[in-house]
Amino acid sequence: MAIPGLHLTQIGSDNFLLEPTRSLNIRTQDTLIESIVARLQQAGASRLYYDLSEQPLIDPVYYGWLDALARTIQAINVKMVCIHMQPTAAFALSKFMHETPIFETALDISGWQKTGR
Amino acid sequence: MAQQPKATDASAKLAELLKLQVGSLAETIEKEGQNIFGGSNNLLGTDEINDFCIEFLELLVALLQSKDPHDDASPQFHALEMYFNNLSKQILVRGGRVEDLVRYIQFMQRTLIDALGNDKRVTVDDARTMLLFLSGLFNELILAVFQAYLEEKERTVYAQEAELRETATPITEIWDGVLTLPIIGTLDSNRTVLVMEALLNRIAKEHASAVVIDLTGVKNIDSQVSHHLIQMVQAVQLMGSDAIITGIRPEIARALISLNIDLSNVTTRASLSDGLKEAFRRMGILVSKKTD
Repeated sequence: MAIPGLHLTQIGSDNFLLEPTRSLNIRTQDTLIESIVARLQQAGASRLYYDLSEQPLIDPVYYGWLDALARTIQAINVKMVCIHMQPTAAFALSKFMHETPIFETALDISGWQKTGR
Repeated sequence: MAQQPKATDASAKLAELLKLQVGSLAETIEKEGQNIFGGSNNLLGTDEINDFCIEFLELLVALLQSKDPHDDASPQFHALEMYFNNLSKQILVRGGRVEDLVRYIQFMQRTLIDALGNDKRVTVDDARTMLLFLSGLFNELILAVFQAYLEEKERTVYAQEAELRETATPITEIWDGVLTLPIIGTLDSNRTVLVMEALLNRIAKEHASAVVIDLTGVKNIDSQVSHHLIQMVQAVQLMGSDAIITGIRPEIARALISLNIDLSNVTTRASLSDGLKEAFRRMGILVSKKTD
């Protein structure tokens, strides 16, 4: 079943790629997170790649959504890796972020696999 | 406003006078143009000077024949203003001086006033009105020239700043996916933000996996700058690259600690060479001596 505002695609056996669309409404984050977790659990996922290529800016609200999603899926033993973070987003996020984020970051999917983290 | 018909009348007479004396006026103005911009000064060619002179007289006549020559919002006035704006840009771009241009404009004004004096039909009253008109007009034109001069200067300063920014952040791709950023001199907040912006864009462009930031050349660091530095490292890590800081001088290390800067999440190495080795190690690259 499709989740409104995002595409969740299985890549490989236990990896998923989450691509948010412009219609993503993070104000309904509880419902969204529940749907995502259900899909990940159902497929036995171990890693979720969150594509930020279309996100030019990350403000505290959006960071809150990323943080909530990463913490929740961590509870079901799925690691979140944010990929394709834009320079402007990284710049903005580093301005207000005081702690190390719970999610990992990578240039792209292959970049993450290469470093072997 | 009551003087408007009188002024328009004087403008019509002045236009008539210009048309009658156009040949001699053009010759005098062209000659001075040659002295200032032509010959060895090499700022404008003879044809260009002649064309400019004729165009100026045509535009001036058009303004004098317009509905209200005093209206500085009229298309004729705007055309004359643009003419001087373009002339000054052309001369400044070719290395000319704004003072020479202003002298040339003042010469044009003097030439026109002289022409008024030579015509016996011009009454004292007309001459007064014409002088007032010419004085106001040429003041506006000189302002247009200064405006163009300032625009040109601003453009030059902006270009120089951009060049300075470029040279102040010599980000080099030293290996496929490995960037080095040697920081030399004093780091202030403005510069740190510029370096950070350039670095993040370069990471995205080159798809860099590791960045080695070398602080060997940094003499001083304060609380604000050290926070910016940590932010820079965080931003690099957020983009998915590894950040390695090298060449921290003892006094900088002491300053960072006394400022309570948390370096626990930052990889540091003693020298740039060690930093590169660490970057290679993380990327699984082995550099070894060739054996015979």
